[in-house]
Amino acid sequence: MDWHDAVVDAFNERDVEVVAYLPDSVLAPLIERLEEESFDTVLVSREEEAIGVLAGAWFGGRRGALVCQTSGLANTFNAMGSFTVPWGIPFVGLVTHRGGLGEHNRAQIPAGYGMPDLLGALGVRNRQLDSALDVKSQISRAAETAFATEDAFVLLMDPKLGELA
Amino acid sequence: MSTYPEDAADQYRCIELVLETTPDAAVISNLGTSSWSLIDIEDRERNFYMNGAMGLTTATALGLAISTDDQVTVLDGDGSLLMSLGVLSTVAERDPSNLTIVVMNNGAFETTGRQPTLSKNVDVGAVAADCSLESWSVGSTEEFADAYAAAVEHDGAALIDLAVEPFTPEDYPSLDYAHSHIKHRFRTAMAGDR
Repeated sequence: MDWHDAVVDAFNERDVEVVAYLPDSVLAPLIERLEEESFDTVLVSREEEAIGVLAGAWFGGRRGALVCQTSGLANTFNAMGSFTVPWGIPFVGLVTHRGGLGEHNRAQIPAGYGMPDLLGALGVRNRQLDSALDVKSQISRAAETAFATEDAFVLLMDPKLGELA
Repeated sequence: MSTYPEDAADQYRCIELVLETTPDAAVISNLGTSSWSLIDIEDRERNFYMNGAMGLTTATALGLAISTDDQVTVLDGDGSLLMSLGVLSTVAERDPSNLTIVVMNNGAFETTGRQPTLSKNVDVGAVAADCSLESWSVGSTEEFADAYAAAVEHDGAALIDLAVEPFTPEDYPSLDYAHSHIKHRFRTAMAGDR
């Protein structure tokens, strides 16, 4: 299954309607697909806005996803630390994980390679999407637990997922 | 660029006017003075009080405004909005007609002791207009009443840059509720007509 299909199917299965995003080269085709499938996409000017947009959408009865890169997720840390976590605002994150295998830009390493530890310190549950397992199921279960427990759950995704999965 | 009139508006009275003009509106208030004032005036089910996440108040209201048909009014601050001025471009892209942004512009980080912000260098109403949002810049309670009524009626998102006197309540009103209670009370109140 193409990983774009997996995302669409998982979001549909868990009634995720709103996708707040800031794209990169890996995510742009996914966003295009999500727009074709009539998801409500919101391009933000800085990723921390997405934390607010998704909270507001949830207050309005809708479920949302954050789609961005690890560098952008680092931009959200005060927002997650003083809004998402203490208030228990659910969303699922699908985040391109920079800083690891094949990384060519040192600027992506501290917040990219270190992101699991950074999220752990903040108290945001996270997991690496495993290309050897069913991708749709992992996204669906991340959303399931996020909305059931009213908590954020971030899936970190290898930029080469499309070639691995 | 902002020059505050001698008789800058009364923030507390302007929030009362918001509730009188749009009694059913969802109101999302910035951390600090706006939230304390709103709690003190009326602890409504359709109030959501930010107590952190400075810079995110308008983004949160945008997310709600695109998820409901009801009026959504945000009480932001100049310090908070300057932290995330880019959000006005995000608002402009969707331009929801049920969203009204009121910027309580006191030129100061009031909650931390009234240290000056840099809003003196920014014409917030003009920035909003540059983002193609309808905007008003007002400096008295009377002007605010008219501008707020017009902003709510406007067919698109609107921003009011309201010059207010710096103000801190003498006593912080108590809010003896858990976060989980406030968020569910607000979410349930918004679900009333779903």
